[in-house]
Amino acid sequence: MKVNIHRLLKEAADAVPQAEWIGLRRCTNHMSFFSVIDGAFDQAMSSRDEGIMLEVLYNGTFSYAATADVSREGVRRATERAFCAAQSAAPYGIYRFDRSVRPASQVRYTSKRQCLSGFSADEIAQGLIAVTQAARVSDHVIQTEAFYQTDTQEIELVSTNGADIRQIQYLGGAEVRAVARKDDVIQQRSVNGYNASCYQGGRELFNPDTLIVKARKAGEEAVELLTAEPCPTGKRTLVLMPDQMILQIHESVGHALEIDRILGDERNYAGGSFITLQDVGSFRYGSPLMNIVFNPLIAHELASYGADDIGNIAEKEYLIKDGILVRALGSLESQKRSGLRGVANQRACSWNRPPIDRMANINLEAGTSSFDSIISSIENGILMFSNRSWSIDDYRNKFQFGCEYAKLIENGKLTKTVRDPNYRGISRYFWNNLCAVGDESTFEVFGTPNCGKGEPNQTIRVGHASPVCAFSDVEVFGGGK
Amino acid sequence: MSFDFKHHFESLADFLFAELLPNEQVSLNYSAEESYFARFNHAKVRQNGSVQQADVSITLWKNKKTYSFAQGLTCLFEEDCAVLAAALEDARKTAALLPDDPYQSIPTGAERSETAYSGSLIPQADVEKTILEPVRDLDFTGIFAQGLLCRGAANTAGARHWFQTETFSLDYSVWLENGRAVKGVYAGREWNGSEYERKIAEARKGLTVLALPQKKIEPGKYRMFISADALTEVVEFFSWNGFGERCMQQGESAYLALKEGRETFSNLFNLTQDFSIGVEPAFNGEGEAAPEKLVIIEKGKLVNTVVSSRSEKQYGTKANGAPPYEGLRSAVIGEGTLAEADALKELGTGIYISNFHYLNWSDTSAARITGMTRFACLWVEDGKVVAPIADMRWDESLYNIFGANLVAVTKERHLFADTSTYDQRSAGGCLLPGILVKDFNCTL
Repeated sequence: MKVNIHRLLKEAADAVPQAEWIGLRRCTNHMSFFSVIDGAFDQAMSSRDEGIMLEVLYNGTFSYAATADVSREGVRRATERAFCAAQSAAPYGIYRFDRSVRPASQVRYTSKRQCLSGFSADEIAQGLIAVTQAARVSDHVIQTEAFYQTDTQEIELVSTNGADIRQIQYLGGAEVRAVARKDDVIQQRSVNGYNASCYQGGRELFNPDTLIVKARKAGEEAVELLTAEPCPTGKRTLVLMPDQMILQIHESVGHALEIDRILGDERNYAGGSFITLQDVGSFRYGSPLMNIVFNPLIAHELASYGADDIGNIAEKEYLIKDGILVRALGSLESQKRSGLRGVANQRACSWNRPPIDRMANINLEAGTSSFDSIISSIENGILMFSNRSWSIDDYRNKFQFGCEYAKLIENGKLTKTVRDPNYRGISRYFWNNLCAVGDESTFEVFGTPNCGKGEPNQTIRVGHASPVCAFSDVEVFGGGK
Repeated sequence: MSFDFKHHFESLADFLFAELLPNEQVSLNYSAEESYFARFNHAKVRQNGSVQQADVSITLWKNKKTYSFAQGLTCLFEEDCAVLAAALEDARKTAALLPDDPYQSIPTGAERSETAYSGSLIPQADVEKTILEPVRDLDFTGIFAQGLLCRGAANTAGARHWFQTETFSLDYSVWLENGRAVKGVYAGREWNGSEYERKIAEARKGLTVLALPQKKIEPGKYRMFISADALTEVVEFFSWNGFGERCMQQGESAYLALKEGRETFSNLFNLTQDFSIGVEPAFNGEGEAAPEKLVIIEKGKLVNTVVSSRSEKQYGTKANGAPPYEGLRSAVIGEGTLAEADALKELGTGIYISNFHYLNWSDTSAARITGMTRFACLWVEDGKVVAPIADMRWDESLYNIFGANLVAVTKERHLFADTSTYDQRSAGGCLLPGILVKDFNCTL
């Protein structure tokens, strides 16, 4: 439906003249998904939706109403509902907010795309069929799967104090997976872990020729794992490839630094944080090799944007510098409540959920060590690839993560492949054992659309990038009952 | 007064079916809600507001092609018809380009059903006051959600199903300064202020023991009573790499070893999909009805898998009304003989688990899960609560938990409404007992 968002805002303002401020965020989503299993069609689907969230400030409280009815009457009704909610919440508001946490920004952002036109359905399906066939490298492979998804999200935000923002994100991601079996041993291998290869961009994000090469490797490694020894148990130096580092950063750094968690908003659901407000500025999070940034400026990284969903303009900021926590992940609202510096990260998954503190692109900056020099410096270690299991406590301390594939490092050399590799640790100690950070040649960018948080619940896109990293004295172990 | 979603659903289905060409068949899956949310922290309102939304998911079968499309709805009938017609036209073009679907499965059932539950909810203007006044002196946090929830399904074979319910849920926790908390859920169709106050009083009582100095547990094997509340976190693992037929056939199920006789569960373990618990409809999105009860595990033995029509086509196993993802709905674990009142006595010395947190497969083939203890987990000695424990990581196989290490199952079972709200308010739930286990592996 064609809408004039400025006219809708005027309807809203006319409906509730008592409001101190009104914001209107319109969001349209268009998603497509194609999957193939074992060389045959499995699923093809698309979805479209569109709606608005009206947000009203009254007596220090922001309240919202979301609707897909963008008619004049629909907007008026929603604004009135939001105002009523603000009236009933105001006596109990957690903080007396004002318009300063809704900046009057003017922003335009569009994902950079090399190819603007998309593929047709048959081109995608045939590409995926070829990819799954490539992954079937032996009779031990019992299943091959490939999928490709695209998502276009357009967000417009206007407000009575002059915000005028329009952002269009074009997203895409492809995945391949092979399952192999020999007797009672079953193993899986993907390209970089499930759904981790999601980016901003255009048609260039789906390249069957490249995927076929990766699919063949996934199939071969799944079969290789069938006869590999179980991962040994014990402490050793752990080297993580970037496609596992992204999970390590996400779970044990990103979430721990979200100010709404530190303030307790998430305690009932996703959890709090071992970080306190007093820690920001002085806490030694990791070794001096650890430099973590909030970086919304890497063009193809999944969560790059010009402004967050309350209109705060996004800029790169150091969160952890030389191992010291210098800034946390909090929006303008969280910054007011906590007195801390933050970033532009108040984001919502769509029009039907309110924005909250979220990670966006949280990256570990490259160091100076080459991959070969890291491996050659390790006497007793293990190199792990691609996440397959993740679990961490509600304060983001005690974690256990598992990977798809690993190789032992013995006397400076990569030796045997081992299966079912897992490791566990405690965030605050683990990062202080960071003993090597790979150089730019090892740096890779990934992203996933599946980060869950918030009440009501929201799933949102996050990007992570990292070089290869090594951690000393980590407890590793294998699978089995 | 609420919007008439049922009429909207019926009208859209009639419109869509009239638009079809002779060689086209479809199913239409409809979801709608009018929800009010209030989020709390420190017994204050963090965020609040309302959401009105509706959408349809349609699967088109045409010749040998299968294509699905979902469309958000405005609830303005003429506009919704226009966007559905355009979406159908696009779907025809896309479907024509697709490869043939080798396992195309077009619903044939023409059953009809209608279920409507009305509720007695808190007037919207009173929500914050009603929830917060009784807890103003507590560090109270959580989410309240209430409103109308609708699900509809229809297909061109003639099936037409409608389910609507007015529900509320308050998912909350009450905290001490030492970082420990009591967790609770109050959910239903009729808000009862006295019942809410009773639950808050129970939480206050629970805080007393949490104020004691916590006990640090060393890694090792422990005797453990896992409450029904904690088991809710395990239910997801019956669906994810779970009892779906396709998952079994494709080598991804954690229960393949059970199916192949390489592993066993205890004869104390019984698992059923049972829609008689009344929390969600028995029809799936394609308009197919599932039996009211489907036994999955009987006395430790795998009796049935969860089978969609598509899997029946592919693998020959008879379908049982499962949705395409073949998740286990309305999970019910059978009761045992242990009285809840005797749970601590039978536990003796060990850990009482109130809640688990963030579970994940650590080795799917071995049905091994890792997770954390959370909230009010307690150290018990000789049947007496001694102290809250410091949160502990654990890593244990379901073949042990529900197998040789399962000591007892409680007589009493508890009904849990699914309080998750990803994309939309959920309609599911489960009925669970508590279990007593031995040699439970705590790791960190």
